[in-house]
Amino acid sequence: MTAAASELTAAPAPPAPSGKTGRVRRSPYVIGAVAISVAVVVLGSLIPLAMILKTAFSAEALPRYGEFVTSWADLSILRNTLVLGVLVGVCGTAIGFLFAFVQTRLDVPFKRFLHVIALVPIVSPPFAIATATIVLYGRSGIITSGLFGLEYDIYGLDGLTFVLSVSFFPVAYLSLVGMMRALDPALEEAAMDMSASRWRIFRTVQLPLLAPGLAAAVLLLFVEALADLANPLVLGGDYTVLASRAYLAVTGEFDTTSAAVYSVILLAPAVAMFMAQRYWLSGKVRTTVTGKPAGSVHLIRGWARWPIAGAAYLIALVILSLYATVILGGFTEVFGVNNKFTLRHFREVLFGQGQQAVGDTALLAAIATPIAGLLGVVIAWLVVRQLRATAGWLDFIGTLGIAVPGTVYGIGYVLAYRTDWEIGPFTLLPSLVGGTAVLGGSLAIVLSFVIRSMPAGQRTAVGALAQLHPSIEQASADLGASQATTFRRVTLPLIRPALLTGLCYSFARCMTTVSTVVFLVTPETKIMTSQILNASNNGRYGVAFAYCTVLTVLVLLAFGAIRLILGGTAALNRVAAPMSTTRRVRGE
Amino acid sequence: MAVDAGTSGAGALRLEQLRKTFNRGDEAVVAVEDVELEVEPGEFITLLGPSGCGKTTTLRMVAGFEQPTSGHVRLDGRVLDTVPPQKRPMAMVFQSFALFPHMSVAQNIAYGLQMKKLSRSETEEAVNLALTSMNLAGMGSRSPHELSGGQQQRVALARALVVQPTLLLFDEPLSNLDAKLRGSMRAEIRRIQRRLGITSLFVTHDQDEAMSLSDRIVVMNKGRIEQVGTAGEIYLRPASVFVADFVGRANFLEVSPQRVENGKAAVHALGRDLVAECHEDVRVGESAYVVVRPESVTLAASADPADGTVLNSVFYGTTAEYEIETSAGTLIASEPSPDPERMLPTGTHVRVEIDASRSYVLRKP
Repeated sequence: MTAAASELTAAPAPPAPSGKTGRVRRSPYVIGAVAISVAVVVLGSLIPLAMILKTAFSAEALPRYGEFVTSWADLSILRNTLVLGVLVGVCGTAIGFLFAFVQTRLDVPFKRFLHVIALVPIVSPPFAIATATIVLYGRSGIITSGLFGLEYDIYGLDGLTFVLSVSFFPVAYLSLVGMMRALDPALEEAAMDMSASRWRIFRTVQLPLLAPGLAAAVLLLFVEALADLANPLVLGGDYTVLASRAYLAVTGEFDTTSAAVYSVILLAPAVAMFMAQRYWLSGKVRTTVTGKPAGSVHLIRGWARWPIAGAAYLIALVILSLYATVILGGFTEVFGVNNKFTLRHFREVLFGQGQQAVGDTALLAAIATPIAGLLGVVIAWLVVRQLRATAGWLDFIGTLGIAVPGTVYGIGYVLAYRTDWEIGPFTLLPSLVGGTAVLGGSLAIVLSFVIRSMPAGQRTAVGALAQLHPSIEQASADLGASQATTFRRVTLPLIRPALLTGLCYSFARCMTTVSTVVFLVTPETKIMTSQILNASNNGRYGVAFAYCTVLTVLVLLAFGAIRLILGGTAALNRVAAPMSTTRRVRGE
Repeated sequence: MAVDAGTSGAGALRLEQLRKTFNRGDEAVVAVEDVELEVEPGEFITLLGPSGCGKTTTLRMVAGFEQPTSGHVRLDGRVLDTVPPQKRPMAMVFQSFALFPHMSVAQNIAYGLQMKKLSRSETEEAVNLALTSMNLAGMGSRSPHELSGGQQQRVALARALVVQPTLLLFDEPLSNLDAKLRGSMRAEIRRIQRRLGITSLFVTHDQDEAMSLSDRIVVMNKGRIEQVGTAGEIYLRPASVFVADFVGRANFLEVSPQRVENGKAAVHALGRDLVAECHEDVRVGESAYVVVRPESVTLAASADPADGTVLNSVFYGTTAEYEIETSAGTLIASEPSPDPERMLPTGTHVRVEIDASRSYVLRKP
């Protein structure tokens, strides 16, 4: 009683309905929920990160920083990383804004088509775009070389910028579309009333209102690009970035100390930008000051709409060509060279060598998804409804899974769980990573899946809970329902759409993640994405494409299954929309 | 105070030195300060006050949603300090109604009964009875958002009543309704409460609601109780300047009482001698106010002798209102059943009559 009472008096709760009900005793369910969430987050997130920091700041590692700042090679890697981040941030946001503008402000046909095209990269596996880009626009690309006779070297900064911008622009697009739809048309009408031209309204009213949103999108994409490992491995060529350098240090040079140092250098800007976006900029995003937006948007009907829409159509066609290549490439011998129809690649993926990877990936993702979804909801519930002073911390720690680049987690897992944890003669925790890992490393893989995909559900559930007026739950308590009953019968059904969204997204993310899992696969446990990486690096593009298609189909099937089990509709739209605020579309 | 577990006499609520502080940043904000209140079984009590006066916090402490910093809530003699909301024999009607949007009307009403583990048939029967008695027959399968505001309000009330609470709590339940509906819901709540005899605690900032519903009104300000009394007591014999100002409208004429005896004070205001009832704090020679309600001021056009001039006049239909500039400041006068053709125009010199029997003398704070 005294402990609870002192927490109550220490709480910054406003006298108005605060949402956090002051209770004398915490129910055992709440304590249990806190304990389980804390255990998972500590094991899966905090210990690996602590190991990174410990290794990176050990006496052995300290000289490396001196080497780093004096080494021309290392500094150019840092420069490469930042340049790529800025380029992708700006280009991706520009494309996202173009699509959002066409969608919400122009009176042109095929808007639905543009919308669907903008959503496709969300469910497609990594490498799909990169590999298709090589095949279409690479040195002997079907379009560059075949159509135009160019000898164009796609490997490097230009190729990476192109592929990453196309991969990540949906994040910017979705958040900007939401923001532009929420702009009160009355603002535009007010400006029109004062006889401002369309261009002037755009410049003086819409753009300033959207500026924080645009800045947030740039930051988000910057972090995405920084963290990406998959594409630099396939498309980087000589252009090395921090993530791929750290990967090489672990897998090629077995130098975990250097890897930890690279990780810290990668971690700092990624987490800083993520925090800036989350805690500083997000508070500045204001769309409407007043109540409900009234009236309807005045769509642009003049000639000016055609060049704008034309640019969007062109980009959409390029994206379409990439996905067409993925699908057709899986069914042809060597796409563009020998276009003979074949089921060879699919046979290899589904019934040959790939069979185990498909099965393992689907199984582990299916195990991790419900855990991640439920944990996300429980953490959100704790954050919004139960905890006070500690809520912000739990929320932040829960979202670390998307703030921290996957490569860093991968290296952290290697450092923390490759060897057994022993106290004297007792094994506290057996090895989870590497050749001798328990269950072939699948425990660590599931843990990493959970940590990396949990934040999606957490963010959507936090949003849903914050909108749910606390009096609804209080009414339930008032009528005699216990906390657990209230959660089960009132809270959970009301945030079901958020839960659905979270589950779908979690599954998609588990299936498509690369950067953490490449460190955790063992000969016993194979994961599709790392198989795609191998196939793509060996030039076996047909197999890579077949894997991509199978993976996408699996993700879509899972969406259907989740919908069937939980009921209700989780349209791709809904699945996608919260991600824009949560950032991250495909793993890395 | 009856410590009675029987159904008819139950519902004696007692607030003992109830106090609640919130920490906002470094400073502690006192939301409710030493509130002491005794409510008889079956009584309808309203907590009335401006926003931020602590009325809602008091109600939420009674419901168990907030934990008192100190003091106790006692229901029928039992201290409720450690009893969580779900175990308190109370039901609340929320400002936002707080109907479960994912359940039908019938499911909403049945919710509390299911928590009481009533059988399916008993629940169904009670729900049907509640629907009929609240004029909601045939709407059981509808979803809350398909109902009008008034119907939603009745569902919320039915959901609270059906669990047969010892104490009914209302958190500004009428503020989301339009003016007409508010009036009829007011009457309905009072009728049902009288019929069932459930002790009720009602929070509002609307004095009309407070006066029309309550047996007694508790006027609160800055976390403290200013006055507890019937509507008549509060209006005609306000305990403080705050109460006089907040409940109804009032003219305050500054005076210095010449004589105080038998609860009456003799004062000199606007050039005339008045004898009016006074508060017990009023002392001879110490400055005080005469509280004069606008309807106690009568005006007559008179060039000489005149007390003031008309600054502004407004015709409202049931009354006409005048602002009069006098030597004692601006007075508000209200004339019942006015004739729009015979309004006193701005600038008219007037003589003022004050009905001392409806005025009250208060010590100047």
